[in-house]
Amino acid sequence: MLLELNHIFKWVSQGGSRVFLLKDINLLVEEGEFISIMGPSGSGKSTLLNVIGMLDGFQEGEYNFLDQSVHSLKEKKRSQLYKEYIGFVFQAYHLIDELTVYENIETPLLYKNVKASERKALVADMLDRFNIVGKKDLFPSQLSGGQQQLVGIARALIAKPKLILADEPTGNLNSKQSEEIMELFKELNQEGVTIIQATHSELNAAYGSRTIHLLDGGRDNI
Amino acid sequence: MILNYFKIALRNLWKDRTFTFLNVIGLSTAFCAAFLLGMFAIFGLSFDQFHENIGSIYEVYTNSQTAKGTEISNANPIPFAEALKEEVPGVKKITRVANGGPLVTFGEKTLKLDVLWADRDFFDIFSFPVVGGSKINPLQNKSSIAITRTTAQKIFGEMNAVGQTVTMRRDNEDVPFVVSAVIEDIPEASSFQFDAILNFTDLPASFYAANKDRWDAHNHPVYLQLDAETSAAKFEKATAAFSNLHFADDIATAKRDGAKPNSDGEYRQIHLLPFEDISFTDFNSNSSKVNKTLPYLILGIAFLILFIASVNFINMGIAKGSQRLREIGMRKTLGASKGQLFLQFWGESIFVFSLSVFFGGLLALLLLDKFQTLFETKASFALIASPGIVLGLLLSLLLITLIAGGYPALLMSKLDTLLALKGKLQHTGKNKVRDVLMAVQFCIAILLISGTLVLWSQLDFMRTKDLGFNKEQVITLPLNTKKDRAQLLQLLRNALEGKPGIISVTAADNILGLGKDGRSSTIVMGFDYKGREVKTNLLNVDYDYPKTLDIELIQGRAFNKQYASDSLSIVINEAMAKEFGEKDPLSVRFLLNDSIQYSVIGVVKDYNFQGLNKTIEPISYFMNPSSPKYYAFIKVAPNNLSQSYDRVKEVWNTLEPDTEFLGSFLDENIDRTLKEERKMTTMISAGSILAIILSCIGLFAISLLVVNQKRKEIGIRKVVGASTSTITVLLSKQFLKLVVFAFLIATPLSWYLTTQWLQNYAYHINLSVWIFLAAGGIAFVIALATISVRTIQAALQNPVDSLKTE
Repeated sequence: MLLELNHIFKWVSQGGSRVFLLKDINLLVEEGEFISIMGPSGSGKSTLLNVIGMLDGFQEGEYNFLDQSVHSLKEKKRSQLYKEYIGFVFQAYHLIDELTVYENIETPLLYKNVKASERKALVADMLDRFNIVGKKDLFPSQLSGGQQQLVGIARALIAKPKLILADEPTGNLNSKQSEEIMELFKELNQEGVTIIQATHSELNAAYGSRTIHLLDGGRDNI
Repeated sequence: MILNYFKIALRNLWKDRTFTFLNVIGLSTAFCAAFLLGMFAIFGLSFDQFHENIGSIYEVYTNSQTAKGTEISNANPIPFAEALKEEVPGVKKITRVANGGPLVTFGEKTLKLDVLWADRDFFDIFSFPVVGGSKINPLQNKSSIAITRTTAQKIFGEMNAVGQTVTMRRDNEDVPFVVSAVIEDIPEASSFQFDAILNFTDLPASFYAANKDRWDAHNHPVYLQLDAETSAAKFEKATAAFSNLHFADDIATAKRDGAKPNSDGEYRQIHLLPFEDISFTDFNSNSSKVNKTLPYLILGIAFLILFIASVNFINMGIAKGSQRLREIGMRKTLGASKGQLFLQFWGESIFVFSLSVFFGGLLALLLLDKFQTLFETKASFALIASPGIVLGLLLSLLLITLIAGGYPALLMSKLDTLLALKGKLQHTGKNKVRDVLMAVQFCIAILLISGTLVLWSQLDFMRTKDLGFNKEQVITLPLNTKKDRAQLLQLLRNALEGKPGIISVTAADNILGLGKDGRSSTIVMGFDYKGREVKTNLLNVDYDYPKTLDIELIQGRAFNKQYASDSLSIVINEAMAKEFGEKDPLSVRFLLNDSIQYSVIGVVKDYNFQGLNKTIEPISYFMNPSSPKYYAFIKVAPNNLSQSYDRVKEVWNTLEPDTEFLGSFLDENIDRTLKEERKMTTMISAGSILAIILSCIGLFAISLLVVNQKRKEIGIRKVVGASTSTITVLLSKQFLKLVVFAFLIATPLSWYLTTQWLQNYAYHINLSVWIFLAAGGIAFVIALATISVRTIQAALQNPVDSLKTE
C-alpha cells in the first residue's frame, strides 16, 4: 500500500453553512497504480490532488502515506515526506521563469541538499532521457508548451519520487503534444512510478489502470 | 545553492530593470547623503574628544546676579586661576588661556600667527603631543615659544626650528622668543586652533602686567582638570566662600542695585562646563546652554533620508513580491523551507543594498571636496574613521538591510503555498502598511520643505533687514601693522581723502559683523550713575564715525575736531539714553574711575551693532585719541563699488606692503556672521530636495505597480463607459489622499519646531500660514506630476489591449 484515504471531509464555511469540497472520500492506492481522476469543473479533482500531495489540509478523516498518518504530522515532517516521495506536474507547468531548463530541473535537488557532482549527473541523465540536452540553457519562455511540460515532468522525476501527481498535465497542450505526454506517463508507470492524474479527457483517462469519478466533492462510482 | 540564489537574484533584478534601477539610484543617493551628512555631524560631535583627560577637564564660568537678572561670563581676572587652585580643593591642574594674532618675524619673513598664551599646566591638561624640543613642558620658561609642525615649516623651512629665535611685536617693541618645542599639528576637531603657544606671562602689559593683581578686570577664560575623586557639582559648591571673598566688591554693588540672590542665596556662583561641550556653547550670548541642535539635526536629516529610501525599498519589495508568487509557490512545492526562502529574498536585498552602499560611498567620495567647500567644514572620512565609528556604521548598515530587506522577505516566505501557486495574494493588511509608510515619507518631505522655507525667509530677513547703518557702501579694514596704528590711520586718511569715490574715513576699536580676519570682541563697562550701576558696550571711535556709517544722529552732535574737550565727551545710543533714564540725555554727566567727569554730547538712533539674535543693547562711543583703533571704516560712493575697493587696496599695499589687505564691505561682514544659519539652510534645503525626490521615486514605482495590477479594472471600466479623466482621478486619488494626510500631520509639527527655532532670534519673521500651505502645495504638485505620468498613460490605453492579457 502506498497511501490510503479514509473518510476525508474538506469544507469551507460560507454564510454559516458548509460547502463541501471533499465529502467522505475513501481511496486506497497501491504502488505501481496509474489512477485517473475525472469529473466536471469544480468537482474537487484539484483539491483531492492537493490533499494527496499534502499541499492542502482537510478537516476530517485519516490519511496514511507509507504507514505514516499524515493528518497527525507536523508541517515540517510533512514537507519532508512530500519532498522525498512526491513529484508534482501542473497544467500551467509552473516552471520558474528566471531559471534555465537545466536549473529548473536541478532545483528540487538543491532543496534536498544533494551534492553538486551528483546533481550534475542526475540532471544530465534526465536531460538525456527526455531528449532535451540541446535545450538545457534555454529559458521556459523560449520553449513550446509541450516542451515546457516535458521539463515540468523531468523536474518532478528528478528526485526519484514514488508518486507523481499530475493536475491536468495536458490541459494547455494540443492533441499531439498530449499524446506524447500521456505515452511518457505510461512508460514511467511501467517503470514502477505510481501516477495519479486529474483530467477532463476520457482519452487521457484511458491511459490509467483505474478511473475515479468525482461529483461535487464525493465519489460517484468506482 | 548560494550560486543558484545569486543567479536568480541577478536575473530577477535584470528582468525588473526599472525597479532595480530606481531602487539602486534611490538608495545610492540616500546612502551618499547619509554618509556626507553623518560625517559632518559626527565630526561636529567629535570635537575635543581627542584629549586623554576628557571627562575631567572643565571650563570655568560664573553666573552673577545683577539687578537685570543673571549674567553669565567665562572671563576671569588674572589672579583668579592661581587663587582658585590654592583655595578650593579638588583642582589637579589649571591654566589661563588668552588668544591673539600678533605678527611674528624671522629674518625677512613676517607672519601673522594665531597664538595662544597659557600656563604650564596647559600641556598636562590637554593632549597636544610634542614632537621636537622640550618634551617635558614647552611652556616652562618665559620668552619661549612652541610652534606647530606646519608653522615651523612655514617659518624655518627644512631648518631645525628648536633653538631658533623669532621676534614678536609687543607693546611697541620687538621681543625675542626662543623656539622651545615643535608640537604636532592641531587636530581639525579641536576647539583650540593655534599656530604657536607662549607663556601666559608673555602677554602684552596692557593685558597682563597692568591687571596682575586686579580682581575686577576680567579678560580670559580658565580651564582646569579636577582630581579623580572630585565631582564638578561638589567643586562648584565648594567655591561659594571663594567667590564671596574675592568678589566682595562686585557682590556689594549688585546688592545695592537690587539684585536678587540665586536659589542658593549666592550672588556669584562659579560653574564648570565640561570641556567636551565647549564647542556647543556660546558665552557671548549670555548663556551656558550646550546647544547640539545642528549636529543632531543633520544626523536626523541623514536618518530621515535613509528612512525614506528604505521605505521605497520595502514598498517596492512587497509590491514586486506579488509578481513572484508563482515562483514562491513552486519553490515551496519543490520542498523549499521558510528559512530557505527568507534567505533567498533577503540575499537579494543584501545584494541591492551592498551595491547601493558601494555606489553611495563612491559618490560621497567624489562629492567630498564640493561638500567641504559648500559647508565650510574640514570633516572627512579619515577624520572620523575610528574603529568604534566604523563598527557602528557597519552595524547600522546591517540593521537597515535586515529591516528593509528582511520585511518583504519575511512576508513572502510566510505565504501560503497553494495561494501563492494560484497567484492570489490577500490584499488586506499589506496595503495598510504601504500606505502608512508612504504617508510618513511625505510627512518627512513636507516637514523638511516647510523648514527650508522658514529658514530661507529668516535668513533673507536677516540679510536684508535695515540694521540702522549703511552696510553697502562701507569698507572695513583691520589695521594689522608693525607700525604705530594711529600713524598708519593718519597716512591712510591722507592718502584716501579727496580721491574720487572715497567719501569719508574713520576708525574704531571694534568691527561690525565679522571681517576677513575672523575676529570680533565685546567690551562691556559698568559704572555708577546716581547710585546704581549702569552697563554699556564700549566703542572707541575716531572722528566721523556716525557720519561714515550713516548712523542717524537724533540729538546733540557728534565728536568734532574743533572742540578740544571732546576726549571727555561720549555719544550714546537710544538704549543707553534709556539706561540713564534722564529726560534730556544731553544733560547727563558722570564720573569714571572716581575722578574723570564725562558728559553726553549726542544721541544716535538705535542700530544693530550685534547679531540679530540679540536686542539692541546700550552702547557708548568714546573719543580717546590714545586708545588703539583696530579697524578703519571707509565710506565710498555708491557707484563703482569694486573700483573704490581696489583703490583702497592699492593705497594699503603702498603703505603696508608686508601685510595682507583684509578689507571687506560691511554687508559681506554681516553675511559672514550668518554662516551657521546659511549652513543650516543649505543642509535642510538639500535634505528636503532629496527627501521629496526619493519620496517621488517611491511613489512613481508604486503607481507603476498599482496601475499594472489594475489593468483589467481600467479596461473594464473603459468598456462600460468611463472617461480618461475619471480613470486618472480614480487612480491618483488614493495617493493624493496620502499626501493630504501627511500634510495635516506634518504642519502642526513643523509649526511647533520652527517657532522654537525662531525664538533664538530677537528679530525674526512672523510665521504665516502661507509658508506651510506652500510646502504642502509643493509636495502635492510634485506628487501629482509623478503619478500622472503613469496614470494618464494607463487611462488612455485601449481597453482591448488590457483585457486581452487576462
